[in-house]
Amino acid sequence: MRRKIIEFREVSFRYEDEGPWVLKNCSFEIYENEWVAIIGHNGSGKSTIAKLMNGLLFPQEGEIYINGEQVNQESIWDIRKEVGMVFQNPDNQFVGTTVQDDVAFGMENRGFPREVMVKQIEDSLQAVGMHAYRQTEPHRLSGGQKQRVAIASVLAIAPKVLILDEATAMLDPKGRTEIMNTVSKVQENKKLSLITITHDLREVVQAERVIVMNAGVIWDEATPREIFTKKDELRKIGLDVPFVAILADELVQAGIAIHDEPLNHEELLEDLWTLHSKM
Amino acid sequence: MDITFKDVSYIYQENSPFAHKALDNISFHITSGSFVAIIGHTGSGKSTLLQHLNGLVKPTKGEVTIGDYHLSNDKKIRNIKELRSKVGIVFQYPEHQLFEETVEKDIAFGPENFGVEKSEIQSRIQEILPAVGLPKEMLERSPFDLSGGQMRRVAIAGVLAVKPKVLVLDEPTAGLDPRGQKEIMDMFYDLHQKQGLTTVLVTHSMEDAVKYADHVIILNKGNKYMEGKPEEVLSDQKALNKVNLDVPEMIQFLLAFEKRFGMKIPYERQSVQKLAVQMQHLLKGAES
Ligand SMILES: Nc1ncnc2c1ncn2[C@@H]1O[C@H](COP(=O)(O)OP(=O)(O)OP(=O)(O)O)[C@@H](O)[C@H]1O
Ligand SMILES: Nc1ncnc2c1ncn2[C@@H]1O[C@H](COP(=O)(O)OP(=O)(O)OP(=O)(O)O)[C@@H](O)[C@H]1O
Ligand SMILES: [Mg+2]
Ligand SMILES: [Mg+2]
Repeated sequence: MRRKIIEFREVSFRYEDEGPWVLKNCSFEIYENEWVAIIGHNGSGKSTIAKLMNGLLFPQEGEIYINGEQVNQESIWDIRKEVGMVFQNPDNQFVGTTVQDDVAFGMENRGFPREVMVKQIEDSLQAVGMHAYRQTEPHRLSGGQKQRVAIASVLAIAPKVLILDEATAMLDPKGRTEIMNTVSKVQENKKLSLITITHDLREVVQAERVIVMNAGVIWDEATPREIFTKKDELRKIGLDVPFVAILADELVQAGIAIHDEPLNHEELLEDLWTLHSKM
Repeated sequence: MDITFKDVSYIYQENSPFAHKALDNISFHITSGSFVAIIGHTGSGKSTLLQHLNGLVKPTKGEVTIGDYHLSNDKKIRNIKELRSKVGIVFQYPEHQLFEETVEKDIAFGPENFGVEKSEIQSRIQEILPAVGLPKEMLERSPFDLSGGQMRRVAIAGVLAVKPKVLVLDEPTAGLDPRGQKEIMDMFYDLHQKQGLTTVLVTHSMEDAVKYADHVIILNKGNKYMEGKPEEVLSDQKALNKVNLDVPEMIQFLLAFEKRFGMKIPYERQSVQKLAVQMQHLLKGAES
């Protein structure tokens, strides 16, 4: 059995006392060495969940546990050391005057030894293709460069829980794939719990499990393959399915009996190949 | 409005040890009424280029012409306010253009600044809200207490409220949910056609570039790398790979299909449905 790292127990949250509930009775668990994607329409509560996970917000109802410890005013300092997060807008998290200071900051806070820090700064900036900019002031970077640096800063720490809130939204698809491959390697090596909040359907496919939010409620929780069979329902709640899933559907309509929901080009081609050789 | 870049270079922090050339001798022409997509890897100069279009920055070298407005380093820009009332920019990060206490004030700020009457502003707001997918209740809220995608919608509404002639969009669908991405792009396209706008779109979505643009410019490290018809430029996998980009997903699939089955299906902006039928014919045909 894998170790439980995050647990939401019947969590409800609202930003103002008399305001509308933004999260309603949400319960879920996330395990060690697991990649979970959270998807949902704009305003469905994804970023709010992320902020509850590292104690930037506290629920009015229900409980949240990180690594066995309940998130509350007393525990947040410990918990924030275990939870690394990249915000939707990286401007909100830059603290250093240069890119490398910024990457160093999180490690300093966590008491990393100097030699480790130096190596981690090098490695993580290389990994996101931003090493040449290590002396640059963060606010002088392009939109995508800012996201790359923000990701380098959490990769350097490799916290037990790594939350990326639309952290690659400003990258081109190729850059996005490269960065996510890097992140995924760190996740596997260090057995981290990786939570990616994203509108990119191709990125969702890479996760082990998907939590689908709709208007503050957990609408579904399953593997990407299971989720993407619910095309029409997903479209009703503002979402969609990836290109391969749409193509597979159209192929079935056209009379080609694709059997399993393919998740990527290779799977679909493999399936077609098998069918083809039987034709 | 016609847009011309003539030998434009832009250097950040010129004459300092940190000088950085973000645009390097770029020339191109955009005909009034066209829809142009600008594509390039991280840091290739796209946002810098866009900021020239309403005089937020002036070229370090060369000249930019937008309709009758000329921007160059040695001249002070005349009628900058008038230019800004005609060229609306949706910035890459919506937070960079939100600043009022309420969503309503934020959307009204632009048109008020350009002297549009109160009643006209109100009617524009009523029209724009549903177009960007925002409920009326949102008007009283602070734009900073919204979700990322909601902020994006407010930022777009603020630009549309000015009714610009040139629409400049810097990754306008980043942060929108899948339905929002499609609805908002369709809405821009509709406006583009109905009001005869000139539209300049920076996007990472090759799909959107092929779908909406009639011309595409590829930037690489501050240089113009390619320019032409979207379906031609964006299907050149070799050339795009060289500058760290990739072809649209459907073309990737067609190439993989060809490799596996030895059968070529040409890319002609076909629908997925059409593609499925083409594949069905090929696979069935190959059997008999
Ligand atoms: N600081 C705040 N004060 C009041 N309401 C807020 C605040 N931040 C978010 N909200 C509201 O809470 C709801 C959930 O917001 P949240 O940011 O969690 O959505 P999200 O799923 O991350 O959306 P997006 O995809 O647009 O980023 C939204 O309706 C939003 O307007
Ligand atoms: N304010 C600034 N000061 C100094 N250099 C800057 C500044 N803004 C951008 N640059 C640099 O200029 C180059 C071009 O940046 P620009 O923002 O135009 O890129 P972009 O193509 O929009 O990239 P992205 O896709 O990441 O948004 C980058 O190398 C960037 O680091
Ligand atoms: Mg969010
Ligand atoms: Mg940019």
